[in-house]
Amino acid sequence: MSKRMIKFVLNGKPIELEVEPELLFVDLLRERLGLTGTKVGCGEGDCGACTVLVDGKNVNSCLMLAVKADGHDIVTVEGLGDYDKLHPLQEAFIAEGAVQCGFCTPGMLLSAKSLLDVNPHPKREEISRHISGNLCRCTGYTKIVNAIEKVACQGGGEDRE
Amino acid sequence: MSDYKVIGHSVQKLDAVEKVLGVAKYAADIQFPGMIYGKTLRSKVAHGVLLSVDTGKAKALPGVVSVLTGDDIPGSNSSGIIIKDEPVLVKNGQKIRKIGDPIALVAAETEEIAEQALRLIEVKVDELPAVFDPVAAMKDDAPKIYEKGNVLAVRKIRRGDVEKAFAECAVIVEQDYQTQMAEHAYIEPEAGVAKLDGDIVTVWVCTQNPHYDAKEIARNLNIGLNRVRVIQATTGGGFGGKLDVSVQVHLGLLAVATRRPVKMIYSRHESIANSVKRHPFIMKLKSGSDANGKLLAFEASIIGDTGAYASYGPGTLTRSAVHVMGPYEVPNVKVDAYTVYTNNPQAGAMRGFGVPQVAFAHESQMDILAEKLGVSPLKIRLINALRPGSFTGTGTELKDSVGIVETLEAATAGAKKTMELNW
Amino acid sequence: MKKRGIGMASMWYGIGNTGLPNPAGAYVDLLDDGTVLVLTGCADIGQGSTTALAQIAAEELGVKIGDVRVVSADTGVTPDAGASSASRQTYISGNAVRMAAQQAKSVIVEAAAEALGVGVADIVAADRMLTVRTQSDKSKDLVDCQAECQIALGLTPGTDAKSISIVDCIAKCRAKGKLSLGHGWFNPDTTGLDMETGQGRPYATYAYATQVVEVEVDTETGVVDVIQIVAAHDVGKAIHPQNVEGQIEGGCAIGLGYALMEEVQVKQGNVATANFTTYVLPTSLDVPPIQSIIVEDPAVTGPFGAKGVGEPALIPTAAAIANAVYNAVGVRITDLPITADKVLAKLQLQG
Ligand code: FES
Ligand code: FES
Repeated sequence: MSKRMIKFVLNGKPIELEVEPELLFVDLLRERLGLTGTKVGCGEGDCGACTVLVDGKNVNSCLMLAVKADGHDIVTVEGLGDYDKLHPLQEAFIAEGAVQCGFCTPGMLLSAKSLLDVNPHPKREEISRHISGNLCRCTGYTKIVNAIEKVACQGGGEDRE
Repeated sequence: MSDYKVIGHSVQKLDAVEKVLGVAKYAADIQFPGMIYGKTLRSKVAHGVLLSVDTGKAKALPGVVSVLTGDDIPGSNSSGIIIKDEPVLVKNGQKIRKIGDPIALVAAETEEIAEQALRLIEVKVDELPAVFDPVAAMKDDAPKIYEKGNVLAVRKIRRGDVEKAFAECAVIVEQDYQTQMAEHAYIEPEAGVAKLDGDIVTVWVCTQNPHYDAKEIARNLNIGLNRVRVIQATTGGGFGGKLDVSVQVHLGLLAVATRRPVKMIYSRHESIANSVKRHPFIMKLKSGSDANGKLLAFEASIIGDTGAYASYGPGTLTRSAVHVMGPYEVPNVKVDAYTVYTNNPQAGAMRGFGVPQVAFAHESQMDILAEKLGVSPLKIRLINALRPGSFTGTGTELKDSVGIVETLEAATAGAKKTMELNW
Repeated sequence: MKKRGIGMASMWYGIGNTGLPNPAGAYVDLLDDGTVLVLTGCADIGQGSTTALAQIAAEELGVKIGDVRVVSADTGVTPDAGASSASRQTYISGNAVRMAAQQAKSVIVEAAAEALGVGVADIVAADRMLTVRTQSDKSKDLVDCQAECQIALGLTPGTDAKSISIVDCIAKCRAKGKLSLGHGWFNPDTTGLDMETGQGRPYATYAYATQVVEVEVDTETGVVDVIQIVAAHDVGKAIHPQNVEGQIEGGCAIGLGYALMEEVQVKQGNVATANFTTYVLPTSLDVPPIQSIIVEDPAVTGPFGAKGVGEPALIPTAAAIANAVYNAVGVRITDLPITADKVLAKLQLQG
């Protein structure tokens, strides 16, 4: 099948490249662009480890075709923060002990961001509900919810600028 | 002792920053130029003898770099933490003992080509009658999975005289219990990368025991242990399920055969279908106490289905036997724990190692006993809890750090804050 | 109707392999600038062993946690520490790291004792300094002896030169051609179990726990909801309390899944539940509030008294849930998992 040219914004930078129509977005990120922060836990839409933000919404990138990224604004964990400046959610995850093996963490962070960006002060139940598509086998979720709640109490996850 | 400067302080986890940034390298994240991808062909039958493996068509597929069978293994072609009963690749004429037994390996330029090549390998198997129920497997006329029989190990605990003690008991509780097979379900599926550095085979892998992995690789590659280097990649959970080898030896074989970096990643399906499991248990417990609730005698039989291979099975059942009376002092104990082979997925270590199963049983017993005696669940446990100076079922005297009573009290006090607890 | 009930369950768990040798080794290198390299074979799988081992080394050497770097689980450079299993690493590798740190420390302590004119037993390491033990925790004899030593060295007794920085001490050692390296290995004190009677000493120490769980059972559907969990765990000494809580919370979640929803279905040897749609894990909506209570009854043989918590965390949970279900509706389920179907069937039998 013929390749298709797609354009999208990835972590704030415009990207333009050619992709096969059957290529999955998670494979584009991990294999082609070397952005391995996005994880694959199941490849079937069940675990949320591959969560990225598409126009601010949390999406399982293992179920998304790369061509569908065309024209959208996409954020992966690499776009959240860096060594010099962690995102408040990243800081809270560390401070609250919400990271054990860390395999669910990138997806959790992005799901949390997608909640706080539209609802800066969610209740605990709303947080639990919103991240219920992100499986974590290590933490029992308690400290993850604590961390998100902490950021929500501090005034939400809106950008630091 | 409270003046520690670092101990007892919740310092920042040393690996947390890399993990939240998404820069921590799990095995699947590791890339090398010229890297190829490995896949495993697995048995579709549960019990049989492998007659032939025809790899001709697979080898001819463009993009296939190597296809290996059991004949290509220079070393022992076996693995296993307690008993080396698991074939790395089942060889012609050898037994298949479960669905999923590895038969051949493919390395190819892409994962897709490797998968396609798997479908081109032709396997002939002489199927044998299989047994999936551990109780049936223990019978004399059951299909023999191993020459020496299906009962892999029996662990006995004998202390005091249970028969005499039961005769003196005021209350006896006797009950059967069963527990299911469970899966670790670490969110990171098994993955690894192998590469040759000169004559060193380096393997990056998610694992709970790199030194064990290295020994298994060296024995199967028939090279010195000092020529194998296993580096644990950041590991996405284990819970006991990454103690056995998964991709380790296969990666070593493919790297040596192709002299190229090679990667293997299990799909979620391959992970759940082929990794070890928590043993399903069949248990019978009998507990007897005097009229005050003091345990006098305890008897248990435990059957654990360890599946097709030993893995940590005998260790699990031994631990179950030691723990099955619970954290209580009982002067008379009799336990028999059987580790039994079947043609099911192999069961091994999973967080708790045979104790969650027996705890379900012994703690149900304690509550039943409490009800019969008309005392609270807390009281029955306090009456019997181990204390410094107590002897365990294995005749071990406990000296220090026996905090069971403190946990009973602390949990009760904690529960009273938020629950309507009337004990 | 929804009915609530409370259940309790306890457990014990022997730390390390059962009646078998299971040693762990470690190396500690106290580098020129006072930072520390710890080499351990111990694989951190997310539970936090690397951090705990760094804390043990930092405490023993009297440096800051930020001064310690741990290289772990690389057979090319680290010694064998055995498996990260059997809740053994804090206890066994923890002891190995501590012993290695003590050996490295002994080199600089000797130098400090000489410089300060005291015996090695009088030196304590803390805050990157080696300091003479304060008068209050010393006998009169020792103080006198120290004064004599100081006079002999031409120092003013009891006044100045009470401490020396670790970096300076290392420099003194290097000037004499001495490296401050240590290795350690630890094997728990156990014996094998007799084949006929099972008598012996399978473990050197045990962890203990009690959990109390409140459930709500829907008598129409049989569905069991866990409302809250209180989990009290005797860990000996919590090296890192937040990580201990993390182990307890994560363990309770796995225990809850084991109690209520998880089951690998095998049909004729074939795993029929090989995905997360059919093998259902607890989500954030299933896990209730968990009150973790850390009980510290220090183990004499543990590093700073520590034992372990990884596995104990999940062991009592299913049992406590089963007991709570009985307390709520009088139904005793004796085969896991406690599915709604099983509860409903027994409720109907009850009439
Ligand atoms: S990897 Fe996409 S949902 Fe699991
Ligand atoms: S931290 Fe391991 S899966 Fe969430």
